[in-house]
Amino acid sequence: MLINTVILFFRDALPILVLLAYLYAHLPTSQSWLLICLVASAILSLIYINQIHTIGQWFAGIGIELSLWFSQLLVYLLALVLACGLTFPKWSNRCFTYWIAGLMVSLTIASKGSNFILYFNGYLNQSNVLQSMLLGTFLGLGICLSLAILLYLAARWLKQRFGLWATWLLVHIYVTGQLVNALPLLVQIDLINASETAWSSQSFLSNEFEFGHLFNVLFGYQATPSIAQVIVYVCALTLPLAAFYWLKLDSTTHSGNIQ
Amino acid sequence: MHKWFGYMPLSISTLCVLCCFPLLAAVSEYHIQLKDHLFFPSRITIPANQKVKLIIENQDNTPEEFDSFSLNREKVIFANQKATLFIGPLQPGEYSFFGEYNPNTARGAVIVERQKLEVPDAH
Repeated sequence: MLINTVILFFRDALPILVLLAYLYAHLPTSQSWLLICLVASAILSLIYINQIHTIGQWFAGIGIELSLWFSQLLVYLLALVLACGLTFPKWSNRCFTYWIAGLMVSLTIASKGSNFILYFNGYLNQSNVLQSMLLGTFLGLGICLSLAILLYLAARWLKQRFGLWATWLLVHIYVTGQLVNALPLLVQIDLINASETAWSSQSFLSNEFEFGHLFNVLFGYQATPSIAQVIVYVCALTLPLAAFYWLKLDSTTHSGNIQ
Repeated sequence: MHKWFGYMPLSISTLCVLCCFPLLAAVSEYHIQLKDHLFFPSRITIPANQKVKLIIENQDNTPEEFDSFSLNREKVIFANQKATLFIGPLQPGEYSFFGEYNPNTARGAVIVERQKLEVPDAH
């Protein structure tokens, strides 16, 4: 049970902490934002888990997959809105940026955190596993927090060196990876037909290994991705980059002309 | 401009029919039970290059998450509930799966085999 708990933290808590680290580095420092964000996320997670049986019955039993996929899609779109704040001065309101980042964190915690609540709710009643679960929680949380702090420091350094676009790029790579990770949810409920594997790097670096997990969280690494996942990944990563680069160039040219 | 609006209902219906194709296609069903954190049967054989439906019944009083890296599947199965997921079309081989909450005991594999063609007996 100890190892299971550690693995669960590594799989589900790490994505939350990585996003928090990136956003905390990206936004102007505010401890109240973090606190409000965590409280809102906890409330949203409890509401979601309370209704999970009802959501599961939606659309002939595919409600959970659909809700998880939509939340990932929303997080991805919110990351693009965050970039709009960097491109257009009208959107760069500090309060608005905090709201967007808070929504991203809340949605991620609600979707990933529900797994924890299910796990702990199911097994905490068994008194013989309580000690190992608590130990696993401390170990798992310790490993994930250490990694998140390292990533936060790296993101801060990048922000100082290259500006806000560098930290946004980290967020963008992360959310694209998570969006692509959520694509098999639509395949497993038979909503889209995209099972054909593009390649297999299972022997090189499996997703079962620690580095496989880490790379999966950081940039959506898959040992056996489907062709659809590869296409979505490339498009979701490069198209917004190209669009924002063009918009930035355009706004710079316009402001130059006005001057 | 208005002429093109006339084609819209037709286009939408065609799109709906095309989208519903995967739902209409008949798929074989395979049942797996989860009891005492063990999968029964722990190995199931399915035909290659075919989509199949896995129905997993959790008979335990605790939830479990069906997980497979090689199949790219993840599904929570609540206590004493059933869950359905689709896998395939797959190439021949062995694809392991496990229960995320009990990975030491709840383990299994999907064996994908090419179907043998029934050749009529010449004699």
